[in-house]
Amino acid sequence: MKTFIQFSIFMLIAGLAIVLAIILGDRGAWYFAWLVGTVMIVLIAAVGGALLDAQDERAAALALERKDGKH
Amino acid sequence: MHDITVVDLSRLQFAATALYHFLFVPLTLGMTFMLAAMETVYVVTGKVIYKQITQFWGKLFLINFALGVATGLTMEFQFGTNWSFYSSFVGDIFGAPLAIEGLMAFFLESTFVGLMVFGWHRLKPGQHLAVTYLVALGSNLSALWILVANAFMQDPVGAHFNPTTMRMELNDFAALIFSSDAQAKFVHTSIAGYVTAAIFVAGVSAWYMLKNRHMELARRSFRMSVLFGVLSTAGVITLGDALGFVGAEAQPTKLAAMEGLWKTESAPMPFNLMAFPSQENQTNYGEVKVPYVLSILVTHSLTGTVPGVDVLEQRAEERIRGGIPAVSSLKMLSADPKDPVAMNQFTTHQKDLGYGFLVKRYADDVTTATDEQIAQAAKDSIPHVATMFWSFRVMVLLGLGMLAFFVLGLIYTLRNTVQYKRTFLKFAVWMIPAPFLACEAGWLVAEIGRQPWTVYGLLPTWMSASTHSVGYMVFSLIGFVAVYTVFIVIEMYLMVRAIRKGPDDGNGAAELDVGDLSLPASRKTLAEA
Repeated sequence: MKTFIQFSIFMLIAGLAIVLAIILGDRGAWYFAWLVGTVMIVLIAAVGGALLDAQDERAAALALERKDGKH
Repeated sequence: MHDITVVDLSRLQFAATALYHFLFVPLTLGMTFMLAAMETVYVVTGKVIYKQITQFWGKLFLINFALGVATGLTMEFQFGTNWSFYSSFVGDIFGAPLAIEGLMAFFLESTFVGLMVFGWHRLKPGQHLAVTYLVALGSNLSALWILVANAFMQDPVGAHFNPTTMRMELNDFAALIFSSDAQAKFVHTSIAGYVTAAIFVAGVSAWYMLKNRHMELARRSFRMSVLFGVLSTAGVITLGDALGFVGAEAQPTKLAAMEGLWKTESAPMPFNLMAFPSQENQTNYGEVKVPYVLSILVTHSLTGTVPGVDVLEQRAEERIRGGIPAVSSLKMLSADPKDPVAMNQFTTHQKDLGYGFLVKRYADDVTTATDEQIAQAAKDSIPHVATMFWSFRVMVLLGLGMLAFFVLGLIYTLRNTVQYKRTFLKFAVWMIPAPFLACEAGWLVAEIGRQPWTVYGLLPTWMSASTHSVGYMVFSLIGFVAVYTVFIVIEMYLMVRAIRKGPDDGNGAAELDVGDLSLPASRKTLAEA
């Protein structure tokens, strides 16, 4: 039941997004671009932060491997 | 007849308050979405450092937000106090987006700002994140409605003049909010705010890296801000181009002034890279031209051309002559609103009504206007070219400079070496004023470029002002400038103090500085080995 409710909510959101995209795409292409662009900018910036963590962890792991190899 | 000194002082007062207010607005617009990005990483990864990062930048955002609201409130009152004829003439149209801004966007933004600040311990992480996104959406929707109202002043669509009520009336709300100018202006301004926030965060982070303080926060903030900034700057430039394209159609005088285009040239038109325009002699001194570029920029083709000041003045003169019967018919209609002859005369000439008002400045009875007065009114239809020309170039130059800065910063941060680039980091700190200056220059281009109109082609600025005394205007102008200067000083003081203090753990306790992370993990571990 919980899955069904979640599924329904997400389908509703998807439906609304499609209607919004059609209306904005037709009458307000730049508004639509702002909506999509802002989401993209926010998410790419967020991914950049997570990527820095991954880079640090990878570098630390590599350094540890080299250290272990030396010993 | 209006006292032109009072009109100029009214303009100066609005310009001063708007320019002060616009020092705060872009940072608010961008910081909200930057906070959303930072908090998204916290909620998705569960890493506490991102919560601390969000809280630290959130504190700086709040200082800016509070002072931004304080400086913005007085501006709306000025429409009633200093621009009463304007408010009466277009209040039916202008009032709607302003009311929606207050009721929908500002209330949304303000309500959720409270939850964002005080809700960290009361809301679940996902709920708090939703609140942060709503604050971001609210602040940007606030800008949307203000800019929809402003776009009507630049390109009045969706309304008509009613000669019976003697005022503009809204007839198509959708046309108003979906006008090309509103769309391009909103996206351009909103994303310019993102760039401002990105430079601000990058600059402060760079300062921390130079001081070897709060390295965890600084490296992450810098990485996120340059990614945020590089994409946003590309968006701002794209929308700047779109605004130019829209403006070429809707406001040809603004475009001619921006480009210092005194004489209409055949395609492909060259772009004036540098020049010293003279309004009096209608020519440029010391021109440096780049062939073909203007046609490409403003028409997106090599065969396109746009009218210069010479042609635009000629057109204005024709429209003034066409507008004189429209203005004189209004006098007849005010005496008898059902006068069929007057109504017919108005209907025939109504498209030029605004141009008829232009000459009323020189001849109270427009039907007696001389050729010289008409020619002078036509000259008035061109905004101040030198101010437009240089404001536009300052904005563009700073925009391109910020793009280069972000690209270089992105390379350094992706290589994880930015903390060693001390010259670049110093430069990043000095870059902080750049987006604020660019935004101010952009605002000057938009608003000075609209002159001599408050509503382009419909209502001249000289008719729009209230009939105050010079003394009243000087007194209130000095008051505004003094109070707003105090606000700026307070903002700078609070910001600098908060930045010097640095982040805390969310409870006002110890700093989260992790000094040994000043080296990337690879180098640190190697050094230890």
